[in-house]
Amino acid sequence: MNLTIIYNLIQGPLVWLSLTVFIAGIAFQTWRLTKMMQTNVNDRRIPEKELIAPKALSKKENFLRKLFFLKLSVLGVNPLVVFISLIFHLCLLITPIFVTAHAVLLEKFFGIGWLSWFSWSPQTTHFTTGIVLACGFFFVVRRVIIRRVRAITTIYDFMMLALALTPFLTGYLAHEGMGDYSSMIAIHILSGELMLILIPFSKFFHMIFFFLSRFTIVNEYSLGAPKRSWQF
Amino acid sequence: MESNTNPTPDKPVIQSILAEHKKQIKIGLTMCAHCSLCAESCFLYMSHEGDPQYMPSYKFLHSVGRLYKKKGDVSRAQLETMRDLVFENCVLCTRCYCPMGIDIPALITLGRRICRSQNLFRNYDR
Repeated sequence: MNLTIIYNLIQGPLVWLSLTVFIAGIAFQTWRLTKMMQTNVNDRRIPEKELIAPKALSKKENFLRKLFFLKLSVLGVNPLVVFISLIFHLCLLITPIFVTAHAVLLEKFFGIGWLSWFSWSPQTTHFTTGIVLACGFFFVVRRVIIRRVRAITTIYDFMMLALALTPFLTGYLAHEGMGDYSSMIAIHILSGELMLILIPFSKFFHMIFFFLSRFTIVNEYSLGAPKRSWQF
Repeated sequence: MESNTNPTPDKPVIQSILAEHKKQIKIGLTMCAHCSLCAESCFLYMSHEGDPQYMPSYKFLHSVGRLYKKKGDVSRAQLETMRDLVFENCVLCTRCYCPMGIDIPALITLGRRICRSQNLFRNYDR
């Protein structure tokens, strides 16, 4: 097949297809999961005011109490992993939005010009891309060397991690002119589209599921004030 | 002694329990990011010098998770290993923490139910 046909395909119809699957898939899966939930759950938790000791806590005591709670939380137990996960996910989500080249493409094809006002300088983009790649490398090493992570790791985990990192690596290499530019860009676009298509139907859906389950399901560790429970 | 009472697992019974809880198991399996952040929330894991077999996610992935992936087609020996995971390695204190909010105790309870249906219980005299 002619290379131009492939480029036209991945830059045209496939973009639309992946975006449609991404948005419709997320909407569908969210709807499906919400249907599995039961509303108006009888809240049997003890009201917070009854949990606090009757004696009013001083400012210092209150602070120590919060500190103690933090120490017991996942942040206090695994601060490094939590911190790296946080910056990894943050950079993974926002970097693509602020890449100048993406803003240029949007302006060229859709006439959306205002996005380029917010675009980052190449240095900033390189920095956040580097963070994503470095964190990804950390996760790979962690999966291989730490016994408890290795015990539950499958080849699927490495494939998902590789798919998440490929657009960043190829985007960086293409921008830096390393390797063959057209093939780098082709892999960059294809892997990005594949990732978008897979988000609603794979482990990547934890991007939505995290909020759905932690903020809407009543649980000891739930966040906010949820009022639902699973009704499988 | 147990292995003589019922040498081959009753596949249709296991499959019917799995089918009954298909959505729950599927969500658990799909959403588990294999991050292992649940490990320290298990006191048995902490008291067994970090043996992965006591990690909450390991316990559900290698019991109900494995049964679901194999569609209930497991040998008696494999089922006995799962029994050890859900009965011996877990006391169902329900204190495990999952960043994704997966209800791990519910899945381990399901594993226990499947084991009980196959005449596999906790070994109190071990």
